[in-house]
Amino acid sequence: MFLAMRELLHSKTKFSMIVIIFVLIAWLVFILSGLGNGLSTLAASVFKNMDTDYVVFQQGSQSSMSKSLLSEQMVAEVEKLPNVTAASPMGSSMATALKGQSNNNEDKVDVAIIGINPGSFLEPAIVEGSPLSADSPNNVIVNATMKDEGFKLGDTFQLDGTTQSLTIVGFVENQTYNHVAAVFTPMSEWRKIAFAAPGSDKGIEAPVNAIMLQGKDIDSSVIDEQLSNTDTVTRAGAVQGMPGYKEENGSILMMLGFLLAISAFVLGVFFYVLTLQKTNQFGIMKAIGARNSFLSKAIISQVFVLSLISIVIGILLTYGTAAIMPKGMPFKLETNLVIVYSIVLLVISLLSSLVSVRRITKIDPLKALGRVE
Amino acid sequence: MSKGLQLSQITKYYEEGGNRVAALDHVSISVEPGEFVAVVGPSGSGKSTFLSIAGALLRASEGEVILNGHNLSKMSDKELSNIRLREIGFIMQSSNLVPYLNVLDQLLLVKKMSGRVTSENRSFAIKLLEDLGLGAKLKSFPEELSGGEKQRTAIARSFINNPNVILADEPTASLDTKRAHEVVSLIANEVKLRQKAAIMVTHDERMLEYCDKVYRMEDGTMSLV
Repeated sequence: MFLAMRELLHSKTKFSMIVIIFVLIAWLVFILSGLGNGLSTLAASVFKNMDTDYVVFQQGSQSSMSKSLLSEQMVAEVEKLPNVTAASPMGSSMATALKGQSNNNEDKVDVAIIGINPGSFLEPAIVEGSPLSADSPNNVIVNATMKDEGFKLGDTFQLDGTTQSLTIVGFVENQTYNHVAAVFTPMSEWRKIAFAAPGSDKGIEAPVNAIMLQGKDIDSSVIDEQLSNTDTVTRAGAVQGMPGYKEENGSILMMLGFLLAISAFVLGVFFYVLTLQKTNQFGIMKAIGARNSFLSKAIISQVFVLSLISIVIGILLTYGTAAIMPKGMPFKLETNLVIVYSIVLLVISLLSSLVSVRRITKIDPLKALGRVE
Repeated sequence: MSKGLQLSQITKYYEEGGNRVAALDHVSISVEPGEFVAVVGPSGSGKSTFLSIAGALLRASEGEVILNGHNLSKMSDKELSNIRLREIGFIMQSSNLVPYLNVLDQLLLVKKMSGRVTSENRSFAIKLLEDLGLGAKLKSFPEELSGGEKQRTAIARSFINNPNVILADEPTASLDTKRAHEVVSLIANEVKLRQKAAIMVTHDERMLEYCDKVYRMEDGTMSLV
């Protein structure tokens, strides 16, 4: 730290330029991770915020709600299985909400209809209005983002292409599915919407898409053995099975991966060039008795301080950016993720400084003698 | 245990285009504490090689170097660097100070290399610098110092760890006559005062008056003048 800090303070311009580069990299990493997180939340927050541990799908449905069809009667069977503390059915389908009878673009809103049993553990807590009720199946609770589209408590809207109209009785938060706002309906209403076409229920009595299970120690293979024609996965598995989810996340992760790899090179080269510039100085210090470990510590602690400053500025800038981002932008910063990526960046920059450390150990102190500058 | 620095029958070979060239040929020299020895000779005579071997920067091909009782020939790189830190004070050409450290920190750096800096170290460093007339320059950076001041800082730095041996490599190379005299007489004074074994390699004949003995080096062999 002795050498590291004194040099930092003495050559402020040089090091501020490195900090600027590093800040930009860190900023980009955080923004990208926020965007990735925002997108995956938008795609699957209904699942992610659901208080469930395992999901029973139909066999061969690849953990996808839209490919799976089961009978609600199975719920009673599942509940008896070992380690299952609760089970509840769920259905999902995509629809378009029509605001009034207009044909304007802005009056058509895509929504995801999520059918659940009112009062079950699948029903999210409302932030406004009243919860679902089995007695009035046309009353729904919807994601609060629909307010931005002009929907209010008590509004009734029609579903495009159906005869069904729904009334908003409550709002919930952070409930989106397939990138659109979720509309929770009682199971019976969902069936009317999803299976309006004759035969689309494949003759299954009381059809549902999947059965959600609670119970920490559930063994999915036991469930599948006991039930016929089922495929049980964890909640995370169900999220992965959502159409397009893996692909979307994959693209963001790949960008992040490349960004981190490139930043490792950029930072490594910067630190290396700085070290090369100081070859003679290090030679002198070695001649007067500095050990490799002393000089390596100086380099590493300097890189550590630079990285820390840059990452902190990067985080501040990211939160600043998040504050002024347009509302519709799928951007969601999570403290956990910010911490993880900060540590990743710190580790990368420290690793990249090892090239410089290697260089130091090779400097010959003899060079310091007999050299006139 | 013998104090000071003894080199006996030192030979150093370099490979040059398949030929073995002897840069040093059976060189022997002994410097006692309090003795200031000069080594003169034309460039290419092996002065630098000699100083590098005496300064634990280079290993001899043959012969032994005994520094304050330690035999350097058998030491590892790490031990040699420790010897350089604790037993040897280097004064180099053009002072070679670390550009981003102020005068006081230049000295404390050496202390830092061997561990913590105590308040005693600090007051010793200040005393040393004051003795060398740098009392007003403690917080100055090398770029703010004159050539003579830089060289005096380097002298102070070489004494900070209280080493037994002082090695000076052309300490007057970048100085005018007045400053050169000033610097060498300072080295001579400190060497006498603190009882160090000191060797100065120089081609500056004007400086020899300060030295107790003068050796001449020519084509790798050394002789007392």
